[in-house]
Amino acid sequence: MSLVIERVSKRFGHVLALDETSFTVEPGRIFGLLGANGAGKTTCMRIVLDILRADTGSVTWQGRSNTQLPRDTWGYLPEERGLYTRMTVLDVLRFFASLYGVPEADATREIDDWLERFRVPDYRERKVEELSKGNQQKIQFIAAILHDPDVLIMDEPFTGLDPVNVQLLKEAFLEMKARGKTLIFSTHQMETVEELCESIAILDRGRVVVEGAVRDVKRAMGRQVVRLATDGDGRVDGWLGELPGMTVGAERQDYVEIRVPAGSDPEAILRLALQRGERVTRFEIADPSLEEVFIEHVGRPAAAEEERHLAERTGGAA
Amino acid sequence: MRTLFPNAWFVARREFRMRVRSRSFLIVTAILALVGVGLTLLPLGIELLAGSDDRRVAVVASGNDIPGSLGGTLQAALNATETDPERQWQVESSDDEPGARQEVTDGELDALLAVSRGSGGDLAYDVFTDEGPTSSLHVALRSALYQVSVSDRLQRAGVEADANQILAPPAITVTRSDPDAQDPEENFGARYLFAMALVILTFMAVITYGTWVASSVAEEKSSRVMELLITAATPRQLLAGKVLGTGAAGLTQYVAVVLAAGIGLVLQNVLKGRLLGAESANQLEGLQLGVLAPFGLFFIGGFMLYAILYAGLGSMASRQEEVQQVTGPMIFVAMIGYFAAFIGLNTPDAQWMQWLSWVPFFSPYLLIARAILDTVAPWEWLLAGALMLAFLAGALWVAARIYSAGVLLYGQRLSLRNVFSAVRVDR
Repeated sequence: MSLVIERVSKRFGHVLALDETSFTVEPGRIFGLLGANGAGKTTCMRIVLDILRADTGSVTWQGRSNTQLPRDTWGYLPEERGLYTRMTVLDVLRFFASLYGVPEADATREIDDWLERFRVPDYRERKVEELSKGNQQKIQFIAAILHDPDVLIMDEPFTGLDPVNVQLLKEAFLEMKARGKTLIFSTHQMETVEELCESIAILDRGRVVVEGAVRDVKRAMGRQVVRLATDGDGRVDGWLGELPGMTVGAERQDYVEIRVPAGSDPEAILRLALQRGERVTRFEIADPSLEEVFIEHVGRPAAAEEERHLAERTGGAA
Repeated sequence: MRTLFPNAWFVARREFRMRVRSRSFLIVTAILALVGVGLTLLPLGIELLAGSDDRRVAVVASGNDIPGSLGGTLQAALNATETDPERQWQVESSDDEPGARQEVTDGELDALLAVSRGSGGDLAYDVFTDEGPTSSLHVALRSALYQVSVSDRLQRAGVEADANQILAPPAITVTRSDPDAQDPEENFGARYLFAMALVILTFMAVITYGTWVASSVAEEKSSRVMELLITAATPRQLLAGKVLGTGAAGLTQYVAVVLAAGIGLVLQNVLKGRLLGAESANQLEGLQLGVLAPFGLFFIGGFMLYAILYAGLGSMASRQEEVQQVTGPMIFVAMIGYFAAFIGLNTPDAQWMQWLSWVPFFSPYLLIARAILDTVAPWEWLLAGALMLAFLAGALWVAARIYSAGVLLYGQRLSLRNVFSAVRVDR
């Protein structure tokens, strides 16, 4: 009953955009599709939507091939936003709803409901071009869901939004999930993934390098992280060397993150600290962050991707 | 295979409304309509400004041996051979040669005729005019003066007869062997102009509104709304809707301008009657207006054929600036039909013209031109119509394939090979 992407390959000229890509999205979940730029995320989404055809492989949703499914199965928020800018918000949304066969009265009711939810009810009669980028993005999101799709596919939905709008969009995600919808989105913001996603897949050069529930993916790394805070100067580099394999991952304002290799006992840190007479105010054993998972599998941090990505955008890549 | 409607209809409706409501559409349509009225009223305006058609000629006699009746004879001869029923010749005597010369220079007199006797006693004429040697004034004067001289020679030879009687035009009746034969030359000028007008109107509509379609597709691509569109609707629905919507907007503008020109034409006839007081000939007389019905059908068919292909090609452009580049082939094809029509207008019964006139890309020009200037058999209409429908379906199929591949190509080198390598989507 899930969305199954199976051994999908797609070649553009000399570039192999997707190389036997396979992953599964359980219905009713929020799924994160992660990867560097050019990893094949957008191509993968377009193939699922059947606006591109794979060279080989198949995509099925609830057992039916995506080439047989009605169009209103999917809701899509493309990475490159685009609306008819000279139309009013109401007209442009009604137009897209009409293409999916939504009766005008129903569409209007839904539009008003969502504009209210996004706290922009007065934009109804405004022209799209008069809206800020962030507000246009909200309209674009509404355009993607008016026809009540089962699966919502969103390419970088949080890029370019201010924190308030990010929060509104997250709430919208949870609302859609509560309605039983399946959500798939790509992003470079690992905190958002940690917050929203139950499962992920990381793509690298067209291949799925890791896939599964977020907790399992982290556990599969084998290591753990200890967050330690003490009353003293908080420095641990003087004595951490006594524990083989343990290294300082990051020094934060009020705690230190220590990487614990697979097979080591994280509680050894606490014992040693107490032994040395440190007054421990915080000791926490955690799975590694998704950021670390990403670096482990892709070889560079996702944040660097985000910056490069933004630079490309503002550099007029459109 | 999903049905074209209702989505094509929704796309068309949006397209039509946005276009027709835009300020530039209203302004351009108003300007074109004014130009249309202006052009049709132009001949009348020229006539009004030029004043009366009548010609005035002054005669100055040098010497006493010039007969006083010469002016009258000349006037009678000029009016007898004049073919324009609205034109009167007036010949007057004058003693003031410098004054008359000034009047010719000022344009008040058409010509000044100085008459004298040569050494042999023959009349000699000195014509002073600002009209060129090929003008109708020269032809008319030459033939009339020839008659004046003949009548003068007869008198000098002692033949006593009334000059008017001698020079009266003979009665000529012509009977043709086949009384039903249509004269190919009959009204040919008017029909030629009519055919040419329709050819030009078709060509302009195809190019102008075809480009509208292409740039509208390119605009959706550059504004990135395209990706949402092809998720919501099929390429065929989008293409058909775009062509219908833009086509309807284009036809609205077109009909507005043609109606304005038609009103101008009717107005001209009415105004001419009022202002010039003359019984004017109806300019639409003698034209086979019945051809306008098939013209309308073939015009719409040809228009859609071009527009569909324009839309397909427009999808290859990532930006507005590339639209001209990618639609070049269409302009080329349209030009072939256009020039073939102009060459063919002179030989409407040529074999190549007949064959070419069945081809859907050209039939809107050529078939109509042939129908006006020659005859088109009923089976030819049916054949051309069937071919048109088949080509329309084929064009929609081809264009939809180019479109579904083209709309996702951004910033790549524009070539048909590129597009066809991407054309694998099959829906």
